[in-house]
Amino acid sequence: MKLIELKGVKKSIGQEHILKGVDFGVYEGEFVAIIGASGSGKSSMLYIMGLLDRPTEGEVFFEGQRVEFSDEKRLSEIRNKKIGFVFQFHYLISEFNLLENVMLPAIKMGMERDKAEERAYELLKKLGLGGKEKRKIYQISGGEMQRVAIARALMNKPSVILADEPTGNLDSKNTQRVMEIFQEINSEGTTIVMVTHELELAKLSHRVVEVKDGEILR
Amino acid sequence: MRHILFVSLKFLYERKRQTIISVLGVSIGVSAFIVMSSLMLGFQNYFIQQVIDLEPHIRIKPREEKQSTEPFSLLLGEKPVEKDRILGWQDMVQNLEKHPHVLGVAPRLVSRGILKYGVKEKPITLLGIDPQREPKASIIEKFLVHKNLKKLETNKTGLIVGVLVAKSLGIKDLGKKLLLVAPNGQTLLVTVEDFFESGITNIDDARVYINIKTLQSLLNKQGEVNEIILKIRDVNMAERLSREFQELVPYEVESWQKAYRNFLSIFKIQNIITYMIVFAILTVSAFGIFNIIMMTVLEKKRDIAILMAMGFLRKDILLIFMVEGFVVGVLGAAFGSIIGFGIQEYLESVKLDVEGLIRTKGFVLDRSPIFYFYALVFSLFFSLLASLYPSYRASRLNPVDIFRSQ
Repeated sequence: MKLIELKGVKKSIGQEHILKGVDFGVYEGEFVAIIGASGSGKSSMLYIMGLLDRPTEGEVFFEGQRVEFSDEKRLSEIRNKKIGFVFQFHYLISEFNLLENVMLPAIKMGMERDKAEERAYELLKKLGLGGKEKRKIYQISGGEMQRVAIARALMNKPSVILADEPTGNLDSKNTQRVMEIFQEINSEGTTIVMVTHELELAKLSHRVVEVKDGEILR
Repeated sequence: MRHILFVSLKFLYERKRQTIISVLGVSIGVSAFIVMSSLMLGFQNYFIQQVIDLEPHIRIKPREEKQSTEPFSLLLGEKPVEKDRILGWQDMVQNLEKHPHVLGVAPRLVSRGILKYGVKEKPITLLGIDPQREPKASIIEKFLVHKNLKKLETNKTGLIVGVLVAKSLGIKDLGKKLLLVAPNGQTLLVTVEDFFESGITNIDDARVYINIKTLQSLLNKQGEVNEIILKIRDVNMAERLSREFQELVPYEVESWQKAYRNFLSIFKIQNIITYMIVFAILTVSAFGIFNIIMMTVLEKKRDIAILMAMGFLRKDILLIFMVEGFVVGVLGAAFGSIIGFGIQEYLESVKLDVEGLIRTKGFVLDRSPIFYFYALVFSLFFSLLASLYPSYRASRLNPVDIFRSQ
């Protein structure tokens, strides 16, 4: 079953046509890599798939249901419960410690604080950050920050992780670690869609999709 | 709501310096409001209370009109109209006493005079009173230092002298003999039987009480009075009752509000000025909150974007920053109230001779709890108002624009 499907999706900003009628689907349990040069439209595709941005034309289906972009509450609910985001920049909140950063999506979902803490501890431990839960983000390395961001994305047990250049700021060792984590998460059943411009990393996925000038090449 | 509080309170707690500055700004405004209100209204209420206690609630007196002094009117045989006395006052007093809103009525004869003590002289206002009736219409005894009002009955040449009159003449003890000079040139040797202290400077510096009969005979106005004073149940009805009585008597009927209208007008202006100052302080503190929240919003664009990505609604983002403003308002009101309370305690403990429109031995404060309530309302209003626009701006941010710009 297709988890996310884009049908004839176009996206324009002013006179610039970023996506020119994209038809694309992601199946449950897949690990898909979207590659393309800078400005090709791959990130725009990801934002639309993540229901963060609305297409200028076309339709988006999530778990088989057509997405109504005018229903902000429903979009937020899907993002909170079904989608986990990982970006090139970690986007961790500096006022919060690692544990609190990871807990945030669960608190938003309405999970009890104790349970949220318990799960956040588990995730941080699983991603090799056990014992550092109470640290502030400036007290950890860049690779660790990205792992915290992954833990946060996994907090509400999402159906899909959407990752936009998740290794763009990392050295090779940390890149390898992040990719291992993604493979592990995927093997546990979570769908992963990763945008990257590095073909070597894309090859670690099940399927590689190339985007060029707002269109899917293969 | 839990997720909003989770983020808001964390932002406030972790950005301590900014939070403290915002709270301090509101606290200053709140404490200024509490202290200035209690000082100003304390002074005004004290003045008004003294006036209500001491002065008649309603006064009936001859109209202040010029008598015809044109020689030909006298030549034509026209009698000058009596303008300096109240005719038929006994009946008037009896009738007024029956009115359900009236507690007491007393006649007075008011005149000017000069008191001489040794080489010192002092122009005074002489109030001829009936010592039995007067307490029914004013609580004069409250202001007597030795509570010797009855002495005016037994000693017809007894005087009750305002403390500042006594001070001007250099009199400190009872029993001193003074020379009273009436406007008609008549003199009388009088004895100080008591001192009178209202705390209102212009009254204590001019007023002297004497038995009405003594004054009538000194002025050669036997049986005459030129003022009838009334004490009523509800002082706030004075204006309405004075209008009612005005229909019944051919003399001027004046309420205490009308008699002191100049002071009451000054108080109104004083209140406006004071509240404008407090408003300015609160506005400045509101701008402080506005700046700090606006800065936070600008600094936190990336955090706002990720919060939206993880499912926070625009409404949630709005509330996160509004809650910050609300908490700053509440904390500012709380600390401001504590500071205000502390300043009130200090001011109340200060002993000093305040000399001005009123004289007291320290600051007169109105410590009504309502000021704290108003302060809370104002601080919340200003804080929420200040945080409204930055919060709205935050809620309108587009997360995609922020992610793209990184």
